[in-house]
Amino acid sequence: MARLNDDAQWIVLMGFIVSFSLFFLGIVINQSTVVGQTTAEGVLEFPKNDILDIRSEVLQSSKITVAADFDDVKKDISSIALSRKNAIVSFRVTQAPPGSTYTKIIDIHYNNGVTAYNETTNY
Amino acid sequence: MLDDGGNLSIDFLAGMTIFMIAIIWVATMIPGLLINTQGRTIDYDAVAYRTGVILVEDPGMPANPPWEIKDDLQKDEIERFGLTIVKDTPNILKLSKVERFFCSTSFSYPDDYQQRVIFGDRPYRFNISLVTFDGMMNNSVGDIKPDGYGYIRRLVKIKYPSNATVNAPNFRNSGVSNNVTTHVFSFHLNCTNLIGDEPNIAYQINPLRDQIMVNITNLSKAHNINLIPSVYPSPPIITLSSIDIYRQNPAQTFGQVRTFDNAYIDGGTTPTLLPAFITDNVSVIFPAGFFYGIATDNTHLYINYTFNLDRTDTFFNNSFTTPYPYNYNPNLVTQPKLKEGVLEVAIW
Amino acid sequence: MVNSEGQLFTIEGLAAGLIMLLTAFIVVSTTSIYTPGDTHISDMQLEQLGSDALRMMNTPNTSADSAESALQSIIKNNDTDRFRETFLWFCNNKTGGAYDILQFSTDVYYRNTPTTSVNRFHFTESRKPTGGEHAVRVTEWVQVDNTAGGSMPAEVDNRVQAVLVEVLLWRD
Repeated sequence: MARLNDDAQWIVLMGFIVSFSLFFLGIVINQSTVVGQTTAEGVLEFPKNDILDIRSEVLQSSKITVAADFDDVKKDISSIALSRKNAIVSFRVTQAPPGSTYTKIIDIHYNNGVTAYNETTNY
Repeated sequence: MLDDGGNLSIDFLAGMTIFMIAIIWVATMIPGLLINTQGRTIDYDAVAYRTGVILVEDPGMPANPPWEIKDDLQKDEIERFGLTIVKDTPNILKLSKVERFFCSTSFSYPDDYQQRVIFGDRPYRFNISLVTFDGMMNNSVGDIKPDGYGYIRRLVKIKYPSNATVNAPNFRNSGVSNNVTTHVFSFHLNCTNLIGDEPNIAYQINPLRDQIMVNITNLSKAHNINLIPSVYPSPPIITLSSIDIYRQNPAQTFGQVRTFDNAYIDGGTTPTLLPAFITDNVSVIFPAGFFYGIATDNTHLYINYTFNLDRTDTFFNNSFTTPYPYNYNPNLVTQPKLKEGVLEVAIW
Repeated sequence: MVNSEGQLFTIEGLAAGLIMLLTAFIVVSTTSIYTPGDTHISDMQLEQLGSDALRMMNTPNTSADSAESALQSIIKNNDTDRFRETFLWFCNNKTGGAYDILQFSTDVYYRNTPTTSVNRFHFTESRKPTGGEHAVRVTEWVQVDNTAGGSMPAEVDNRVQAVLVEVLLWRD
């Protein structure tokens, strides 16, 4: 008979303890780094700069007075945004009702599949 | 037969289970316990980024009236620092906010800043610096940077406010009836036009929010001394008696609303209380927010300077003509200008 | 003949081996993967800086010249030297200490009316990218009045248009 003796149970137990403590240490270190990682990923994935940029370009475009030029610029923005940014961008400029303090009402719509952004602004 | 002496007993299993539950429980608490010691620059970078965004893309809280016009006694009402003019102008900072933010007599490092711009669970140390590319501005707040720190660099433009410089001899009255001792010169700020004509806030002159600065130069050449030496052997003694603010609203009658009694006389670096004697020039700075409570979007503001001479003479006076317009004409008013700069945030 | 004497040893050995493997795997995977370089922190910093630089170049300094920003006139006049100078000046400037050293490569994307496709022309670069750089991509919309034509490449339409300036930015 294989006289299995139980002298070494402590060794097994120590093995368990060491491996589990390593495991949890890993989790702890992991958590502290994940903070930084999620922040950076959040920043990189949320297209803040794209939206700000589109917004300022649309506001600038709204000043174009020639209708044909405005349509051209509108098409430029939609098609280049779709091909380079994988984002659907559309916007509309309407005249504000008479008597209001602003002259134009601008609707901006942006959607890159993950983030959708809609804005109505007065200018 | 197998000897089961080495198998795990029920006792051991129970003990191990309790031990496991305990260790899991402790382990979930460890991140919280270690928050004060986690020396990861990754976290610092995230805080630095957040601080950069708050400073460069946010106008701060409260936004209207803006936080920078709160004086030192009211500084508890400032919830958050933010340096942009309004939220629609990311990266374009307002000079008065920048100056207030870096004012070391108003805010103490690090407590006032930690609560209002750094935030976070632990008391981060930091260094925030801002310089303009032309070297005219070099501000910083915080400690000397250690070896490892979280970091972000943001590029900004700072809006320098407008000012008007008036050459006094160009506005001398004439004629016998104007040969008096009291002379009034007035400036006109038409808020409707100032706010309506330039919709882009980055270039707007907004009396309600921006600093307004008026310089009057060459007052010593505005009287008659050089013209008739035999009659006027010595220059008159000029006194700037008062600066009065008048307002006209569509629904209200024209009337005086305020007086202003601080002026920089003859190139002085500290303001002098009025009335005061003047030899040659006077600069008056109405700080950002000065007109906030007394004017609205469609107010006409008139700033009247009253000068007294110790004898009758013709002098710097436009009370018989039209007030000097403070507007978007670059020949009359030096327009607001943006200057490039770089802002760095270091956190550790 | 096969006997069953060693069974418990075998099972124990297997279990121990599995536990060790698992632990080693977990420990290795948790600690070594997330270094600052891999958490995209430096990418984030670089991207923010590049976006800021382009945005500042596209912001005029006074209302008098608000009709055209520096970047607009650079693209319109194909002024590659000025772009290189201004962009690097913005990117490399710090509040103190030595200048940063960043490299970039710029393309311009435009819509071509006859072919209704989005095309690209290479604008300028500080150094030719070899392909091995860890670069971030930043962009800026620029409105260009190319009605007169002449300066921009011939295939760009002669009209008022919006183009996308795309910059690859990396640190040596």
